[in-house]
Amino acid sequence: MLRLAFKSVRHNPKRLILTAIAVALGVSLVAATHIFTNSLSSGFGALFEDIYDSVDVVVEADPDSDIEFEPTEGAFTDANVEDIGAVEGVSEVGPGIGVENLFVLNAAGDAPLNMGGAPTLIYNWTGVPEIDRSTIVDGRAVEAPGEVLVDIDTFANGDFALGDTVAVAAEEGVSGYELVGTITFGENNELQTANLMYLEESDLRELGGGIEGWQTIEVVTEETADNEAVAEEIGGLLPDGTRALTAEDKAAEQTEAFDEVLQYVDIFAISFAIISLFVGAYIIVNTFRIIVTQRTREFGLLRAIGATGKQIRSVILLEGLIVGLVASAIGIVTGWLLALLIVTIVETFSGELFGSVTLPADALLWGFGVGILVTMISALLPAIHASTISPMEALRESATQSKKSLTLRNIVGGAMTLIGVLLLAIGLFADVERAYVWVGAGAIVLVLGVTLLAAQVLVPIAYGMRGFLTSVFGVDGKLAANNIHREPRRSANTAAALMIGVMLLALVATFTESLKSTFTEQFQGNEAELFVVGTSGAVPQGAIDVIDDTDGVATTARFGFGDVTIDGQTQQLGAIDAEAAEGLLAFPTEPGIADIGAGAFIAPSLQEAGYEVGDTLTVRGDGGTVDLEVTGLFLTEGDAHLFVDWDTADGITSDVFLAQVIIDFEGRADVDDTRAAVEENLAEEFPLVMVQSPGELEQFFNSFIDLLLGVISALLGSALVIAILGVANTQLLSVTERTREIGLLRAVGLRRRSVWRMITVESMVMALFGTILGMILGVSLGSALVLSLEDFGFTGVTIPWLWLLLYTVLAALAGILAAIWPAWRASRLDILKAIATE
Amino acid sequence: MTTTTTAIAASMRDGYKDYGMGDMAVRALDGITVDIARSEFTAIMGPSGSGKSTLLHTLAGLDRLTHGESSIGDTVITSLSEAQVTEVRRNNIGFVFQSFNLIPSLTGSENITLPLDIAGTPVDKEWFDNIIGILGLGDRLTHLPAELSGGQQQRVAVARALVSRPEIIFADEPSGNLDSTSGAELLGFMRRAVKEYKQTIVMVTHDPTAASYADRILFLEDGQIVDEMREPTADKVLERMKQMGH
Repeated sequence: MLRLAFKSVRHNPKRLILTAIAVALGVSLVAATHIFTNSLSSGFGALFEDIYDSVDVVVEADPDSDIEFEPTEGAFTDANVEDIGAVEGVSEVGPGIGVENLFVLNAAGDAPLNMGGAPTLIYNWTGVPEIDRSTIVDGRAVEAPGEVLVDIDTFANGDFALGDTVAVAAEEGVSGYELVGTITFGENNELQTANLMYLEESDLRELGGGIEGWQTIEVVTEETADNEAVAEEIGGLLPDGTRALTAEDKAAEQTEAFDEVLQYVDIFAISFAIISLFVGAYIIVNTFRIIVTQRTREFGLLRAIGATGKQIRSVILLEGLIVGLVASAIGIVTGWLLALLIVTIVETFSGELFGSVTLPADALLWGFGVGILVTMISALLPAIHASTISPMEALRESATQSKKSLTLRNIVGGAMTLIGVLLLAIGLFADVERAYVWVGAGAIVLVLGVTLLAAQVLVPIAYGMRGFLTSVFGVDGKLAANNIHREPRRSANTAAALMIGVMLLALVATFTESLKSTFTEQFQGNEAELFVVGTSGAVPQGAIDVIDDTDGVATTARFGFGDVTIDGQTQQLGAIDAEAAEGLLAFPTEPGIADIGAGAFIAPSLQEAGYEVGDTLTVRGDGGTVDLEVTGLFLTEGDAHLFVDWDTADGITSDVFLAQVIIDFEGRADVDDTRAAVEENLAEEFPLVMVQSPGELEQFFNSFIDLLLGVISALLGSALVIAILGVANTQLLSVTERTREIGLLRAVGLRRRSVWRMITVESMVMALFGTILGMILGVSLGSALVLSLEDFGFTGVTIPWLWLLLYTVLAALAGILAAIWPAWRASRLDILKAIATE
Repeated sequence: MTTTTTAIAASMRDGYKDYGMGDMAVRALDGITVDIARSEFTAIMGPSGSGKSTLLHTLAGLDRLTHGESSIGDTVITSLSEAQVTEVRRNNIGFVFQSFNLIPSLTGSENITLPLDIAGTPVDKEWFDNIIGILGLGDRLTHLPAELSGGQQQRVAVARALVSRPEIIFADEPSGNLDSTSGAELLGFMRRAVKEYKQTIVMVTHDPTAASYADRILFLEDGQIVDEMREPTADKVLERMKQMGH
């Protein structure tokens, strides 16, 4: 039986090629993701190993301890350093401090060298090579306060020269140091694009805001020493909340933490790969179903000479296994190439981030796992169908299948559609836990239900277009409509594969377009001229003073956030300069924001908790416990659960994070000049504070949303390609099946061109119907999603007409493309041979 | 191989077969009782629609009787489950059909040993070579069916039917698609198998010449056996058929 399966795959590989490509495409995505993240992981793993290669024991604050040290509060004293130095086996002790939240500025000194990119790492220069890990390339070491060393890549990127002043900026304040030398980190300066600098110890303490003591102590042991034992002995000498561990363990721990983050990348990319494979499953089902139909007599004969139904089923499943194995292997190889391509492209822009591109075990496991699983599961139904073929089928003259009624399919499909809609409605609009599970399950059941129903709905509609197609394409159009009608299941499955991809695209497009128009609407109610945000931290109060002092600035209003406790639960508090903000931005509040007074406006989550206007909220912060009257409602759920005036917030908590400032200019002030003045005044002391006009901010949001749509569309691209392959595949197989009929048509005078056109029309109609059905589903689901998120500020559904139009045009084109191979085959048929075919 | 010792290879008692329901019902077999003797070449003849193919199918366990009983050797197959009937077919029966006898993806020799492969029994090499020799298939064994002539394809089918030495071989118009020379050759082989190897063969045909190769001919009309003939010649058969209005 194994031989039979092998032989029949080899005997007619053409009918399985497109199926294999579909599986391989999905698998290549899965494999590429794993290979890519593995390479990234090994790149960073190597970095961590490099970092901890020269030292033997690391002493640091214990991340698992309840005791937390402030950045300025070193965990270790000089006495600790001395104690560790006295431990047997220790040869060098390197107490260290570092500052990692600042940014090195460009040569002009007005913006960070790496905008929004890699961090700047600044450490104290010890002069001990094992501890510093860097060696001097040019110039000399840091010898006195006011001097700095930078790594060679930063040196080149910043276009610095020895003797220049290198500026380092905090959110507040800039410090300049004289560049006395360049260094290379490790052997090849593999910093994964970070900027590395060394300062003299006292400078660094001051730059870090007055760092006391030491943050870490790194230890080099004697060659004969047992690092584990040394680490353990040191551990006994340490203050509470700190630990000592070997450098090896430390590097492994870092790699592990990084891998955990990478897992999310895996999950994200693989969910799209699974969508592709889900679409691919439709093709596999179709292919195997057609193959089984075409081989009815073969299976009947096998049954007649004694094969059991089970053996027939095994043959089909074995064929599925062979296809799955081969396709997965191809997919893994192309996945590897894809990952290599991506790594190469990324590295040309970012510098060396990756380790070597290998073929990790999990890529093989996942690749073969999903590839084979999808193929086998999809082949199961056709295989079961094949096992029921009776031996009498071998005696029938032609392999026509008896028409099965669609009734059962319709009932199951209708029921699934209803259940799907119900589950979706519960997930979206009812108040249930883990709503996304309901939504996800609902969407899948709905899609399957619609697929089943499509045979009943879609096909008659296509058939109903017979008149139209006939009038446009003549007899070719009429034949095409007949063909779609002939195998309703097959046509429906083919269209449904495309439907899924288009549905997801339309869903995302509806969602993002609605998000965009929500933003636009918000910005329309805006009167402010400038928005101010920090680069990576809060906007410093000093920057606001600078802005206030600039000529032409009328008002500034601050927005900030802080944690408070209400009824024993931590809630996010929003602080607003209410009076100043009134009229500058349109707030979704009832009444207006200025009416907040000394009270609080509450967001929907607190409203649902039972609070109403007039109630009293007891709010506890580090500044004390305050009773606030609820004076109004915030109508949308956003970043904060309750909003108070800035002055009120100051009385509750000292820890308000100043996230954003909006600026209103005086009426007579020139917008461009005033903005330039604000920027110039800020540049001196606050180069990290960013100034944006509402237009820029809106554009930034929109381009971010467009990027999101672009990324998701690209990831869905493979699902769409697979769906198009499915159209081509179905057409190809049915051309084979209709060889005799096409021969007859040609014999009675149908021209080659007409055959071509007939098949193209068929393919276009299937593609368009799949697309239109997908768009209807996608827009409906997207709208439902947007409506269910009204609480979060969505103002309404925007239907992405432009995108829908584009999808329709693309679908028609795809239909034409998909028809090329089958149409070519059909039009080339030798008439005489075709008629003689059984 | 079978251990039955009776002289009857297959039999039917009061066999009825109806197709369709109610007003549409067609009675294909109308109370057939017949015994097929071991080591004999039996032909079933009759006009189109007389039920001769149905008789073959129900005897062979490919199709089920509506009513009545049929047996292969000592085994009453009408009371067996589908799986059990499949086993009987596998172990005791060989088939030769009019067309589409071979699996297109398998070579000649693979097609011949297919029943043994399905059953998982080893090939008796001597017997295999013997059959190949008699049928003159030696140089066609590695060819795919599409590369064989119609006569060669049917000879491969006969070889396949013989290879497991079944209790009985059922042949449905085996020479129906062949020219007269190839047809005569094929029927000659089948006759030889009966004479030399004591193989039991039941063949349905409407061709008097083909039927004349048999030891015994059953004539069917309207689902009933109306006559039988021993030691037939083509002329005698033609004469008899004419009487039936054929």
